Amino acid sequence: MKILVPVKRVADPDNANKMKVTADGSAVTSEGLAWKVNPFDEYAVEAALRLNEKGGSGDVLGETVVISLGDDEVIQTLRQPLAMGVDRAILVKASDGEIDSTVVAKALAAVVEKEQPDLVLMGKQAVDGDSNTAGQMLAEHLGWPMATFAMSIEVADDGKALVVGREVDTGVLTLKVTLPAVVTVDLRIVAPAAVKNGVTPDDHAYNEGARYASLKGIMKAKKKPVDQTSLSDLGVEASPLVEYTKYELPPARSGSATFVESVDELVEKLRTEAKVL
Amino acid sequence: MSQEDTSDRLFNPTEEHAMLRQTVADFVRREVEPQAAAQDEKAVLNQPLFRKLAELGLLGITIPEEHGGAGMDAVAAVIVHEELSKSDPGFALAYLSHAMLFVNNFYHCSNDEQRARYLPKVLDGEWIAGMGMTEPGAGTDVLSMATTATRDGDHWVLNGTKTYITNGCEGHCFLVYAKVDGRITAFVVDRECPGFSTSNHIDKLGMRGSTMAELIFEGCRIPAANLLGEVGGGLAHMMRNLEIERLTLAAMSCGIAARCVDIMVRYANERKTFGQPINRYGQIQRYIGDGYAMTQAARALTYNVARDVRADRRARIGSDAAKLFAAPVGKQVADWAMQVMGGAGYCREYPVERLWRDAKLLEIGGGTLEAHQKNLTKDLTKQLGS
Repeated sequence: MKILVPVKRVADPDNANKMKVTADGSAVTSEGLAWKVNPFDEYAVEAALRLNEKGGSGDVLGETVVISLGDDEVIQTLRQPLAMGVDRAILVKASDGEIDSTVVAKALAAVVEKEQPDLVLMGKQAVDGDSNTAGQMLAEHLGWPMATFAMSIEVADDGKALVVGREVDTGVLTLKVTLPAVVTVDLRIVAPAAVKNGVTPDDHAYNEGARYASLKGIMKAKKKPVDQTSLSDLGVEASPLVEYTKYELPPARSGSATFVESVDELVEKLRTEAKVL
Repeated sequence: MSQEDTSDRLFNPTEEHAMLRQTVADFVRREVEPQAAAQDEKAVLNQPLFRKLAELGLLGITIPEEHGGAGMDAVAAVIVHEELSKSDPGFALAYLSHAMLFVNNFYHCSNDEQRARYLPKVLDGEWIAGMGMTEPGAGTDVLSMATTATRDGDHWVLNGTKTYITNGCEGHCFLVYAKVDGRITAFVVDRECPGFSTSNHIDKLGMRGSTMAELIFEGCRIPAANLLGEVGGGLAHMMRNLEIERLTLAAMSCGIAARCVDIMVRYANERKTFGQPINRYGQIQRYIGDGYAMTQAARALTYNVARDVRADRRARIGSDAAKLFAAPVGKQVADWAMQVMGGAGYCREYPVERLWRDAKLLEIGGGTLEAHQKNLTKDLTKQLGS
């Protein structure tokens, strides 16, 4: 199937503690931090590649395309999924100030109209803003079925539907979605047996986690096409609905801890001392 | 690409180099670091992990793409060795022995028939490989080697012993130097060749994520087709390959030093004595400041030299200088990191004591410091022209 995977560039989440806020609280600065593909989006890339290959054989079953919004530098971030095995990339040129989830969802919807993928597979959220909204809004714009927080995906009905295991507070909710659809993934989607496409042998052992960009993949990535378009080309107005008024860092942790002997004592203290119950 | 200074161009000259570093760093964080202490304890090579290097395409990093490699340069090789050595220099040494001492060397001195026989096996990790140069009686004085090869019909017969051979215990094939009528000649020898054997594992102080053994040739018969290049051509192959060997060994010292700087910066910020973090004390600041500056100097020299190391030109002065400078930096910075950590640094619970043991090898293997000093003096004097 043809899969479109939207990815977002985020400041290296492994060094998130280096993030700073300007003195006037007007902006977040990420100087000195490397740009990485949002981890949940990287998991979506892995899941898309697993859906679109006969694991272990090198056979490719469908086209996988990544898309991102941002300035020219984002092309460097897009090389990562290309090196992992994605076929091509699309960059929608935009500046950070022009976009929020609503603009992203509109732009993605416009690209979906053009590209006509069978599936949009994306991270459940970006680890910088943690908004968890773009996928849902995209499905609404398209009028497509949606499954969020996917921790397993199985191709069903001869490729016309997906059975998606959704991780929810009470357990796993299983949904069948008819394609085309929007699916957003949680981190367990990269467990060794989380994706079943009906073609890869069941005993094929995937590694835990997203695949590495192999050296051959890296060398090929440079030659893969990155199509460029813009918000205006897509007929999308750069008018974000979300306005950021002020940023501040979370308060430093006090570093003190109280140990309790029993659950009863814990509940008592939460009620009387912490006053959170 | 990271949002770093333009000096980053030296360490990651192209986008591909930056992505290579990222891939190896991810692999190291996820799979190399977690096994390093246990492999050090057991003193065996982690072969399943080694085969993953093949999946990443790293075993033929310097070999052209049309021969199954990645077609990358010496800078790329330096990046891989530096990143691996931040977590497990012993494992990095097994990689170096395979990918640099065997694969890179073999590629440049073999013919198409030999490449077809060996490259597929060593590039996909089915076979682990190494190289035999040093002998019990010939180290720095390598030209005095006593291993001989004599022609007998359609075979060569080898006699002699090579020692301190990394991957000696696991290796399936080795590039071996032996003298034919007094002239140094290169051969490839399979473990299955009659008359070939390896000694027991030679236990060692550090670099314990890789093994070491003697290669013993007792009337060892190898096919005539296993002669690499010309009879007497071995010296040229040896001298060419020593450059990338020394360069990547220097890169390993850089990796050890960089990791140790990282460890001491973090530790000194967290550890408190007399009511304040120890990084407030000038004594500690000297270790951190000097350690960082020396590490960056070693990296700058190593990466600068790497730009000149290629199969078709000689860069002996640079590669000797890089290893001569970087090896003691690795050892010194590891020592300072241990000093900053005090008792904790001396304990097995933390990686510093392991890196400290590993670091020493780089002052000996692939050329002692004294060999580099000798070569540099000779080559620099020669440059005077007389």
